[in-house]
Amino acid sequence: MDFVTLGGNLLGTIQLGDIVLYLTPFSLFLFAVLLGFTVLIGLSKPETQVEATMHYLNNTEVKVGQKELKQRRFLAVICGIASAGAMITGDLFNFTLFMALVGILNIGIVSAVKQTSVLNSAFNYGLIAMMCSLPLFGGAAIILAATGTLSLAVLSQMPASPMVVFGAVMMLIGILGESGVAPFFASKAEMFRTAGSPYIVIIVIIHLSSLFIIVRAVEILLLVLW
Amino acid sequence: MYVPQEFISMYLPAIYAGLIVGFIGTMAIAINRRELHILILTDIVGLAMIFVVSAVGTDLAEALILPGLVVELAETLAISEILITREMRKIEQDPRANLTKSSSIFPQAFSLNMEIMTTAPNFIALVLIGYGIFLTGFTGGAVAGGGIVLYALSKKARGLPVLMLDGIAGVSGIAWCLWIIGFLLFFVTPQYWLLSLFLAACGLLLKVASKVGLIGLLMREDIDNE
Repeated sequence: MDFVTLGGNLLGTIQLGDIVLYLTPFSLFLFAVLLGFTVLIGLSKPETQVEATMHYLNNTEVKVGQKELKQRRFLAVICGIASAGAMITGDLFNFTLFMALVGILNIGIVSAVKQTSVLNSAFNYGLIAMMCSLPLFGGAAIILAATGTLSLAVLSQMPASPMVVFGAVMMLIGILGESGVAPFFASKAEMFRTAGSPYIVIIVIIHLSSLFIIVRAVEILLLVLW
Repeated sequence: MYVPQEFISMYLPAIYAGLIVGFIGTMAIAINRRELHILILTDIVGLAMIFVVSAVGTDLAEALILPGLVVELAETLAISEILITREMRKIEQDPRANLTKSSSIFPQAFSLNMEIMTTAPNFIALVLIGYGIFLTGFTGGAVAGGGIVLYALSKKARGLPVLMLDGIAGVSGIAWCLWIIGFLLFFVTPQYWLLSLFLAACGLLLKVASKVGLIGLLMREDIDNE
């Protein structure tokens, strides 16, 4: 499918050798929203959480230390930039790389928390992400082998052969696992029950990045398949 | 045209092999229950990913293998770090869990006074470094770095103060410059290809050697802290 059909008018292309970035209102909007969220993450103040106790009145305040907070904020900002990059990229393999980077950063954000349940969930999510790097990278490589190019602008003009369809399906499985949505969400669900931290924003980047990447992945797969 | 027919016909078997290895790996993960084993088994799935990517066998695929490997390594490191943090939290919560049976390599106090123990490591380190310089390039760097590590470790094991260059990072920077200059000369003045080849090779040698040496030093400092 032509990317003009999916993303609205073509506003222009940026040529970087054989990597061509194309700008449509769709990709620009996603890019701008994610950059806005990244700025918010950089500026937001930490929230504190209150842990209640059953039958007693000794509620405790849970805070996160300065050092851990800095590290978490840094990783969250990088995660925002990486997902913004995945929104604007015009190259299939760059997209998979940004995807893998987001997966690693999601683990990194919760890696220093103190609850064992959260760490357990991060461990499970990490295993799923690692196993899904096989279909993710493998699918991109199969598409490369079948068509000889990774540029989305060229791929969108080509008719899909059975091998390309196979590669695209594998890529879809990889993206689902790496971003931890639908069938794999159970591994990720416990991850944002952590205390302290700028709860609203930083933990939300784990959600937000995977949501946006799924939207973009649907566009890319449509481009490749039709 | 340029690629022999045998190489092209290897593509499908290689993809099948990668997918089958990945399938076996995931089956093993499903059967196994120990977390450490699962972590090691996911690495097999990651290697299957390298299979599928490298099956494409073009220059572009080579450019995809390196990021794939890096992603794989980063994920393994992140997950193992999470596993370690979680185990530490568990031990903090229940210190008795720490009292598991463990065995050392040397169950009894062990002392040997032989001259070969003091002279041989230095000599072997010297030979390794010399051989590494003779090899040049990536392999040479690894060999020379191994020599540096051996030297540092053998001194440390005898309890002697280790005199290492603090400027090892500086050496690494100079090596980087050599490498870049070598590459630049390649493109600007191709007739001096031998000079630029040697610049790049020596730069890579120093770079890898200092990197491996640094890893050894960091390991030593970690052991000191414990």
